[in-house]
Amino acid sequence: MQDAFNIVVSGEGGQGVLSIAKIIATAAWLQGKQAIYLPSFSTEKRGGVSMAFARVGDAPIRFPRFQKADMCVALSQRALERLRRYLKDDSVLIVNSFLVKDVSAFAAWKPRLVDATTIANEKLKKPRTFNMVIMGAMLRFIPGLTVGGFDKALEKQFASKYAKDPALKELNDKAFGLGYELAA
Amino acid sequence: MPDAIANPQAATHAFPKCVRIESKPHLYCPGCGHPEVLKALGFAIDELGIQQRVAFGIDIGCSLLAWDYFNLDTVETHHGRTIPTMAGVKRSNTDAVAIAYVGDGGAYAIGAGGLLNAAVRDEKILVIVVNNALYAMTGGQESPTTPPGMKVATAPKGADQYYIRAPEVIRSVNPSAFVARGITTVQPALRQLMKAALQHQMDGKGFAFIEVLSQCPLNWGTMGEPEKTFNFLEHGLAEVFPVKRY
Amino acid sequence: MAEKKFLMGNEAIGRAARAAGARAMFGYPITPSCEIMHFWAGEASSDRGKEDRLVFTQAEDEAGAGFMLIGSVLTGTRAFTATAGPGHVIIQDAFSMAEAMRLPIVAFVMQRGGPSTSTVIYSQSEVTLACFGGNGNGYRVVYSPATVQELYDYGIKVFNVAWKHRFPTILLGDGYLAKMMAEVELYDPSERGIVMEPTEAYILERTRARRLEDVVPSPEIHIRHADGVEYACLRNCLNLEEEALAVNTEIKAAFEAAAPEIEEHETYGDASAPTLIIAHGTVSAAAKTAIDGLREKGVAARLFRPITLNPFPADALREAVAGAKRVFVPESADGQLARIVAHALCGRAPAPFVEYSRPSMGILPEEIEMLVLDAK
Repeated sequence: MQDAFNIVVSGEGGQGVLSIAKIIATAAWLQGKQAIYLPSFSTEKRGGVSMAFARVGDAPIRFPRFQKADMCVALSQRALERLRRYLKDDSVLIVNSFLVKDVSAFAAWKPRLVDATTIANEKLKKPRTFNMVIMGAMLRFIPGLTVGGFDKALEKQFASKYAKDPALKELNDKAFGLGYELAA
Repeated sequence: MPDAIANPQAATHAFPKCVRIESKPHLYCPGCGHPEVLKALGFAIDELGIQQRVAFGIDIGCSLLAWDYFNLDTVETHHGRTIPTMAGVKRSNTDAVAIAYVGDGGAYAIGAGGLLNAAVRDEKILVIVVNNALYAMTGGQESPTTPPGMKVATAPKGADQYYIRAPEVIRSVNPSAFVARGITTVQPALRQLMKAALQHQMDGKGFAFIEVLSQCPLNWGTMGEPEKTFNFLEHGLAEVFPVKRY
Repeated sequence: MAEKKFLMGNEAIGRAARAAGARAMFGYPITPSCEIMHFWAGEASSDRGKEDRLVFTQAEDEAGAGFMLIGSVLTGTRAFTATAGPGHVIIQDAFSMAEAMRLPIVAFVMQRGGPSTSTVIYSQSEVTLACFGGNGNGYRVVYSPATVQELYDYGIKVFNVAWKHRFPTILLGDGYLAKMMAEVELYDPSERGIVMEPTEAYILERTRARRLEDVVPSPEIHIRHADGVEYACLRNCLNLEEEALAVNTEIKAAFEAAAPEIEEHETYGDASAPTLIIAHGTVSAAAKTAIDGLREKGVAARLFRPITLNPFPADALREAVAGAKRVFVPESADGQLARIVAHALCGRAPAPFVEYSRPSMGILPEEIEMLVLDAK
């Protein structure tokens, strides 16, 4: 019995792990889904492995955690190791291939390799778009979420930021699109 | 027996109006300095006409015997917590005149964090610390103001070298606070300090702090020897802790 | 107007306090409760907050926060604090005083790992401390919410319970609830027919609707009159054993009189199921999902969830266990709920109950399912 689509994101502190899961959950909720987000925070702000959970579904979700994930997102090599316990046979595995070099032990899950770091830094020249590339890749696999709906949700979420910096929206959309295509 | 003790009702002229005459004779040991501090405070309250506005917070230790002393809204607590309690009163009822009445142990040891930060936050309260250089109620233990060499229950060979001069510390963290040290033996000046400190609060100016050097004949081992008591107060203590406005 | 939002638990609590008409908050930073304070700091410094004369003070420590809170409540202000873990230990000093004088302080406690500093993440290890901490006898009200929505609902209710019954009242959440984001329906209490209990000052109050002598235990209060004015004198320090006994006896009588009105519980699942799970807070939310899962597997189970941990709904629990053949008590602590349950049952459990103690660990619905299935 599964009451939601379960997502776990893990990476190094400071990589934006928490924001990715939080934005995904918020956007899903804004799109009319039920959602819960839980950061697995620790005492240190930076420097450790951080992890965050998002659950998206149609019925009310009672509990923020789960045993197995439908989607695992690893932003660094050691984060990937941490995610192993959440993998089940049909989990979608997305990795930031810039930092995750060795996926040989995870071949069974056919990891989607997304070099979000290079795209953000070199193609878009804006390291902060890293998150959007990852989210673009994630969105393709989350049932019930559409690119259009997610877009609208983001506009609502970032309304004040976009008002101040209209170029940011364009950049974010581009980053999101690149991630989405890469995960195909 | 003097008249005022045999028949306190007849001696009202000797007391501030806000004093609760039925509670006399007071609960303090003979020769204790607390009643002198309380009287000075009471007269200042009378002169300012604020009896109905005062929230009087008293701490554990001999300070708590003041619970009986006045007709004032009074709350007793412990361990220097009287200071944050009065800060909470004042922040929530700005019309109140909040007074925290604490001993040197409560204010400078267990409640030091509360006192120091009330000064840093410039809480609009008056803190009165009665400094008799030791813990009196619990049996004469060493406090942060026990002067070097003084023999007390927990320093039988004499207290060690360092001690706190609190008004100096308070001044260093709060340049605009009212800060003073008084002494029980100079009543008119003490009364003036109390009045000025209360006025400071009533004018919305912020933190006010008075330390009062006070005698404890019981724990000083000078009971029945007023000369020794006051010699230690006015020389032993006052030479270490200067009596003045800061 | 009621509206749905996607909020972090801590923010839901801040908004509940605001909706309840609370005016003051005193706190000290500690994870995972900080955002409650951040929210209130923002409110208090906003134009609207200034209009409403909101008070916010960041204290030097939890003793400072707790006693400022006491000072605030003494002036008749609806006021609260928020804390967790080691801060919760320190603030018991103030809770004890509130218990002694029957001061309606409100505290939002978000449990983290224990003992001592431990993790900042999650536990149910502060149940004993919340219910029976301090050097008193546990005369305080403790609610255990299970969802972010309940943080809001009970976040309003705690103020009313505190001020109506005049007992310190604690909303005992945890790190999951504090930090997770979920849908919350926000509303004004009046839209739901909730009338906020009036507050009244303990000191500096010259005309009273409720006699202070009917609230504060008699050895601790002395009302004086001078020139036609009434002065209230309150003290904690007593001289005689008999006075201390009287204080405790009076508080106990008041607590027991109020308890039936305060006690709250919830049941879930097939009422005739022989398998009973007793759980509170976040674990009870997991237990509901486990019960749904078990039903799909053809196993009937039900939940008894105490919503108030103190006073504990003992009569309701006894009724619930009456038909049970197997009883499970999962909790993210080592037997803290189980001890309360055992006391409430006094040996009247129909079957030995199975404790599933996972101190400072989250308990997943799947684990509870396994627990039941393995025992079959």
